[in-house]
Formats: sequence, C-alpha cells, structure tokens
Amino acid sequence: MTEVILEAKDLKKHYPIRSGVVRRTTGHVKAVDGVSFELRAGETLGIVGESGCGKSTLGRLLMRLEDPTEGSILFDGVDMASAGRSEMRRLRRDIQIVFQDPYTSLNPRKTVGDIIGEPFDIHPDVVPRKGRKRRVQELLEQVGLSPEHINRYPHQFSGGQRQRIGIARGIALNPKVLVCDEPVSALDVSVQAQVINVMERLQDELGLAYVFIAHDLSVVRHISDRVAVMYLGKIAEIGTDAEIYERSTHPYTRALLSAVPVPDPTTRGTREQIPLQGDVPSPANPPSGCRFHTRCWKAKEICSLEEPALIDRPDLGGSHRSACHFAEEVMMTTSRKG
Amino acid sequence: MTSNVSETAHALEAGPEGGDTDAVRTLKGDAWRELRRRPLFWLSAVIIAVLVVMAVFPGLFTNTDPREAFLGRTRESPNSDAWFGRDVQGYDLYARVIYGARASILVGVLASVGTALVGSLLGLVAGYTGGWIDALLSRIAEVFFAIPLLLGAIIALTVMRERVSGYFMIVGMVVAILVVFGWPSIFRLMRASVLQVKPNDYVQAARALGASPLRITMNHILPNALGPVIVVSTINLGVFIAVEAALSFLGIGLQPPTVSWGVMISDARTAIRSSPHVLLFPAGMLSVAVLGFIMLGDSVRDAFDPKSR
Amino acid sequence: MTTEALGAQAGAVSGDARLLEVEDLHVEFHTHDGIAKAINGVDLHLDEGETLALLGESGSGKSVTAQAIMGILDMPPAKVPKGQIRYRGKDLLTMPVEQRRQVRGPEISIIFQDALSSLNPVFPVGWQIAEMFRVHRGMNRRDALDAAVGLMQRVQIPAARERVRAFPHQFSGGMRQRIMIAMAIALDPAVLIADEPTTALDVTVQAQIMSLLKELQEERGMGLLLITHDLGVVADVADRIAVMYAGQLVETADVHELYRAPAHPYTKGLIASIPRMDMKGKELYAIKGLPPSLLRLPHGCPFHPRCAWAQDVCRSDHPDLREIVPGRRSRCHFAEEVIDD
Repeated sequence: MTEVILEAKDLKKHYPIRSGVVRRTTGHVKAVDGVSFELRAGETLGIVGESGCGKSTLGRLLMRLEDPTEGSILFDGVDMASAGRSEMRRLRRDIQIVFQDPYTSLNPRKTVGDIIGEPFDIHPDVVPRKGRKRRVQELLEQVGLSPEHINRYPHQFSGGQRQRIGIARGIALNPKVLVCDEPVSALDVSVQAQVINVMERLQDELGLAYVFIAHDLSVVRHISDRVAVMYLGKIAEIGTDAEIYERSTHPYTRALLSAVPVPDPTTRGTREQIPLQGDVPSPANPPSGCRFHTRCWKAKEICSLEEPALIDRPDLGGSHRSACHFAEEVMMTTSRKG
Repeated sequence: MTSNVSETAHALEAGPEGGDTDAVRTLKGDAWRELRRRPLFWLSAVIIAVLVVMAVFPGLFTNTDPREAFLGRTRESPNSDAWFGRDVQGYDLYARVIYGARASILVGVLASVGTALVGSLLGLVAGYTGGWIDALLSRIAEVFFAIPLLLGAIIALTVMRERVSGYFMIVGMVVAILVVFGWPSIFRLMRASVLQVKPNDYVQAARALGASPLRITMNHILPNALGPVIVVSTINLGVFIAVEAALSFLGIGLQPPTVSWGVMISDARTAIRSSPHVLLFPAGMLSVAVLGFIMLGDSVRDAFDPKSR
Repeated sequence: MTTEALGAQAGAVSGDARLLEVEDLHVEFHTHDGIAKAINGVDLHLDEGETLALLGESGSGKSVTAQAIMGILDMPPAKVPKGQIRYRGKDLLTMPVEQRRQVRGPEISIIFQDALSSLNPVFPVGWQIAEMFRVHRGMNRRDALDAAVGLMQRVQIPAARERVRAFPHQFSGGMRQRIMIAMAIALDPAVLIADEPTTALDVTVQAQIMSLLKELQEERGMGLLLITHDLGVVADVADRIAVMYAGQLVETADVHELYRAPAHPYTKGLIASIPRMDMKGKELYAIKGLPPSLLRLPHGCPFHPRCAWAQDVCRSDHPDLREIVPGRRSRCHFAEEVIDD
C-alpha cells in the first residue's frame, strides 16, 4: 500500500451571509461542511457532485487559495491550513492546480513561454536561469505541443491546446499532487479524449497523484482509482471506482448514476431510473439530519433526526465508506456497464 | 445570439495544430492593425502631431514675435501681413495662436499623466487589497468627486494665486490643482478594471504558484486592467486643455503676458461684436485640439474592443 | 388557432408537404478576415412526433442551422446565399415578414442553452409566459396569467400559483429551463427546436428536463429538433441522427444503426472517444488534430486531415452525401468499409 501524501481532516468552509444596513451576519453558506479523505502517492481520487456540492470550493481549499474555516490539510507532515507564508511557498512546489476554463486560465498578454516559465521565476532554485528555456520547451513537448510555439500568445491556440499549456504550467515544478478543477468540462468530446490521454500519460511518467474534480461521471470513472461523491458540502460516499459505480451504497450515488445518459440506444427502457424530485436545497440552510433526506426515496424517520457519519459500514470493509443509515440495504448487487 | 458568433469565432481561430497563422499575433499587434484602418485615427494623429510640434518648436510656424504689439493696427482683419489679423491690442493673432499651443498642450499632457498616475496607483491598491483600505480610498475619492472640477479649481487657484509667480510655477500649480480634483475618475476606472481582472483564473494560478502580491499586481493585473485607463486618459487630455482655457478665461489660470488660448479668448470679449475674428481663431484652435484628442481616445477604444469590429 | 387548423390551412396550399424541410442550406459569415462558410449545403427533414438530433461539436454549424430556421441570425454579418427552409411546404426564407412572424414563434419555437440570459431579468416569469398569449392570442391580462400558471404547472414547477410573480434569478437553473420550455410550448407549436437544452445543467436535472421534453412531445405530437454534442443524451431520446462537421452533414441514420455501426470515420471516432468502463486504464481513442478553420476549408473531404482511413481520393474529391443503404447516408468515399470495420 503506497503512502498517504495528502490527508484532509474535517475541512469546512463557511461563507458569512451579511444583510441589513449594518451588515450583520445572519447566517452562513456552508459550502464545504466537514470533508475528510486521504490521497495516496500516484493515485487519482475523483471528486464528483452536482452544482452546489462544494467540490470547486474544496479544490480551492486544497490549494490554500482560500482559508478553511475549520479543519486541517496534512501534506508532507505540515498542516497546510495553518502554515505560514514562507512555508506555504515551499509547499506550493509540491501541489499545483489546473483550472477549468481554457480562456481565462492563461494571461492573454503573456507568451506561452512566459506562462509556463513563470513558476521558475517565482521559485528560482528549481531550474537555473540558463536552462529555463530548454525546460519550458521540454514541458511543451511533454504535453504534446510543439516547442517552436514558445513565443506565441494564448489566443492563437485552441481550447484543448490551452488546457495543455495550463497542465504544463502545473507540472513545471514537478509537484507530487495536481488538483484538477474540471479540466476537460469546457472541451469538445474529441478534444477531451486528447487531454485525458495526456493527463494519464503524465501521471505514469511522473508518478503524479491527481485530485480530479468533475461532474462528468464517465470521465471520472475512466481516470480515477478512487471516487468521492459529494452532496451539499459533505462526502456522501467514497470508495474505489468499482465500488462506487457497481456496488454503490448511498441513495444519492445511485440516483446520480441512474441519471447519466448512456451512449447506447439499446439500453433504453432497461436501465433503472431514479428521478430525483425538486431542487438541491440551499447550502445556507441544509436539511437537518442527513442532508439528502428531503429527496431520498429510502428516507425514514431517523434520517431527518440524525446525521449519518461517513464510516465503513458493516459488510463493506476496506476503504468503501458511506454516509447512509441504510447503506447495506442500498447496496446494489447487479453490476453496471459503463 | 452571441453563441453562434462565438462558436464560429472559435472555429475561425483554431486552425491546424499550433494556431492559425505562422506569425506571432499579439494583442497589441492586433489593436494596432485595427487602429491603422480607421480614418479617424489618422486624422486625429495628424492634428495632434501638428499641435505637439507647434508647442515645442513654435518658431517653425512663424517668425513674428507674439508680444509685439502695434496699437495702431488694433482689430485688423486677416491680411497678408497678419494672417489671422490682429487683436484688440494689436498683437498678431496667428503668432499668438501658435505660441499659445505650448501652454495648452503642456497643461493638458501633464494633467492627464498626473491624474493617470495618481488615480491608477490608488485604484490598483484599492481594487487589489479590498477591505478597509478600499473603503477608505473610495470614500476619499467620492469626496473629491463631489466637488465640480471647475469650481474646485477656481477656489483653489484664487486662494493660491498670490503666492506663485513665474511661468512654470503657474503652469505647475494649474496642473497640480487639476490632478487633485481629477484623479477620482481614473481611480474609479482602474479600481473597476482591477475588480474585473482579479477573479480570472490566471490570477489565481499565479497565487497558487506562490507569486507575491507585487508580482501578481504588476505582472498580471496591471497590464490587463490598463486598457480603459489609457482610453479615458487620452480623452481627458482634450478635456484638460479645455479646462485650462476656461481657467485662463476666468483670469485665475495663466494670465497676460503669458500666451494661451484661454487668455486670448478672454481678451477677445470686448471685440466679439465688431471683430469676431479675434475670438474665432483661438476658439477654433482650441476646439480642434480638444477634438483631436477625443477622436484619438475614441479610436483607441474602438480598436481595443473586439466586439465593436 | 390550433396547430391542426393552421396546418390544414397550410396543407391546403401544398398537399402533404413535410412538417419541416431544409434543402441545400448555405450560410456564410462575412468577417474582416474573410468569408466563413458556417453551413455548406445541409438537407434535413422533420415529421410530426419524431425527434431528430443534430449532433456536432463546436464550430460544426449545428447552432447556426437552428438559428437560421428560427430566423434569428444577424444578417449582416450572416448571409444565406442559397437554400430553402420549408415549413409545411412554404419557404420561410422568401416569405413576407408578416407571414414569417406568424410562423416563427407560434408554429416553430426554440429553447436555448442558457435560460438565465434568455429570460428578461426585470419581468416576473409569469408575465413573460403570459406575454405569449397576450401578443399572439389577444388574451386579456387575467386570462393570460391563468394560462401561464397552467403551463407552469404542466412543466412541474412546484407552487406555480405563488411563484408566478417571481423573477428569473429567484429560480434554479433547472427551473428556469422549465420556464423557457413553458414559454416555448405556450402556443402549441408544431416544431420545437432545443439548442443544447441541458448542457449547462447538472446530470440529475438534465434527466428531468429531457424526460419532460419527451412527455410534452408525445402529448402534443410535436417534431423535436434536438441540437447537442452529447452522445449519451442523443442515444436516449433521438429517433434519427444527423451528424455535422465543418458545416456539412457527414452522416444521417436511425439512432440504433448509428451506434451499432457508424458509417463515417468522424462518427466512429466520436463514439470511440467516450470513456467506457470496460476500457478503463487503456488510452482513450482520440481523433487527432483539430476541426478546420471555417475560413479555409480543406480541399476534398473536410475531415481528411484527421481521418484514419484517408486515401488520395479523399484529398482531392469532395464526397457527396450518398445513400449507402436505404435510410442511411454518409459523406465518405469508403463508407462501406467503415461500417464493416
């Protein structure tokens, strides 16, 4: 079993809601409300969920682009959540991020060479000045772009190419972890495949661990070793990809999986349909007890009273954890096709 | 509706691997190309070039001394000796108009640069830091904003008038007053621009890399936020020239024996009915100068704005 | 006036014409950099009660086709140099403006991807839906509002009567999409065009919206033209599929046939590049290269620079969209080989 390199413990991020003339705090938007997980070296942890589940906020917390309200992020023996400025600078070499939008993630006024080379300007001891241009060209090649284009500007590249530039920037410092915030969501299907291939190849070559945040379940399934399903700021279920996709034990996960359209018309009418009623509740006012109980078809009285903990449920074993009082009943026995 | 254009636009851009042209295409280069095609740009460029040369080398345009008065030839109409005629005191109008350019351009340029510097710096700080610093600066700006430029200038100049003498000192004072009352509009502009640029992912990426706030501001935010400020400052140049003329007209800016268009317009008050040319020439020059800068600012804005193509 | 009555009126003019027929449509955009050929000869047809999916990626021209049918292209810079768009036999492109306004809207309506920017933010949603009745049916305010409430209930917006005065920003994305659908079906159109209706929505909401659309279609016998890039959604709801690439159709087929055995390398590539569970860990099939610039389309087959089957003839001869088996057409010189592969 490979070592754990990143561990999030009970992470919370609450945004205060201020209203009234005096701007009193009348409540909090609980974007992330108690998230814990582990990430091992070289593995890909997929984080899926729908809008409002807090996965993007979680990504920003992991990068310390925002400060958590509570909780800790243990990385390399240090708690990133409370680390000082210079310590964070050192840690930032080991954990980097790739953003979703290829059109706003690159500075339009800088050349591609400058963009990918910026990490070396900020951390000058990683690569000596003389070797920087060479290294940038190497990085361009690694992500499948031509090193001759080092002096071009972002607007001269397509969306998929820009994402690759963002990836090159992310791996420039040889990090151990790459947080990917919906890296392929804004791309066309045919381009998605190209970029996913690049990312998988890089992972093999460099031994990177990915935190892959996305809403496309098929993509997450393909690339992830383990998957965490988020709902309203908390993890509903976490396990290996086979456990989540074939032996899911949480009603939300099952509803989510049943909603994913399958590109195979012969399955029409044969798949299980679990339509969810209504909207996702507001994160400012989450339901009592289990957050999903207002839309859950298995909800019983205890669900509105007591919040189920994300723990190993009996009969599941291993690292498959689920936050449902009735996890065993929900466990699917039929395997599912992609 | 914009989706079909943007969809097609992306399809236009993304050619074969590596971009659609072999040449490097910068945003500046694109903007310059757009600018070159506009006749308005060339017109304004010519006007401004002429004015600048006039201000720096007035001797190229005329040999006559603007301070040489021929009282006997007062209010002379344009003739071969004095192309624009003469004013009430017999000065050669043409020479005075040429020499008057210097004061106006000087004040315009210095005031514009001054407000741009002060306003941009404070706007950058306010927009990037946020919090109480932003609140404080914004409130201060609002106080100054509330005071009309001309009124504030009149009051300040009336108070300061006695203490200052000498050409450059007076010009400096006028410029300083204009900067003091004119910086809030650039401040607001820069602040709004910074607030638009800050949430972009590339700024977050720089933070994620561990860049210092100084680096982020100078390297990422400023270049992308500068656009609107440049446009407005260019237009402001024209406005400041007009303001200087107004102040001189009121007698609290530059005064005789200094030559400026505002002074000339002031002197022409008594002659309007009988010899309108005394007023028309300096007023005409003033209008052309102001128009030139405004047209330049407009062209630059249109060239920078990809949607207006 | 009901669809049947209007249809009878139109039908009386042109026998048993198809509900919607697009013939040899060409659309160009005149830009500073040249003429972009967004659509280069597209033929489509749609019958009552059927769902035609127009499948393609960005730049393929699918949205432009929808907008051309609805008449909402900005002309300039767009131009339609050639082609006909016939609704029940009458060409919309040459129709007098007054008549066009009676067709587009009441007879053919459209829903867009982003409901937030399609709804007017300063008017209550009920008012906006009721506007359809006030303007086109001449109803008074109260009746129109009642009709609006009824529609909101039909599209499953909870507490419709209370929420009829709420503003668009007070609804979630899925709810706003339902409001747009309500507006679109208010006048009982015969054709509904859905331009990427679920792309911006969460997957559970997507499922709800697609099932609502299907229900409404069956209930009212509408023809549904679904514009999308999502192969999963298409597999679920479409009867026929037309695949677009670089402004042209490259394949048309019945939905089952298309997925079972695609007849064009582009379609084949698209289907193969979707992540699949049984191929986990293996590299995804990725179509190499990028879509061509619409300003400079390649000679011969527009797809040849990226095609695994490309031969010399593909570089020089532009293939026609030909029928390879009854009901299936493909724009490829080697369509038969592609099917069998």
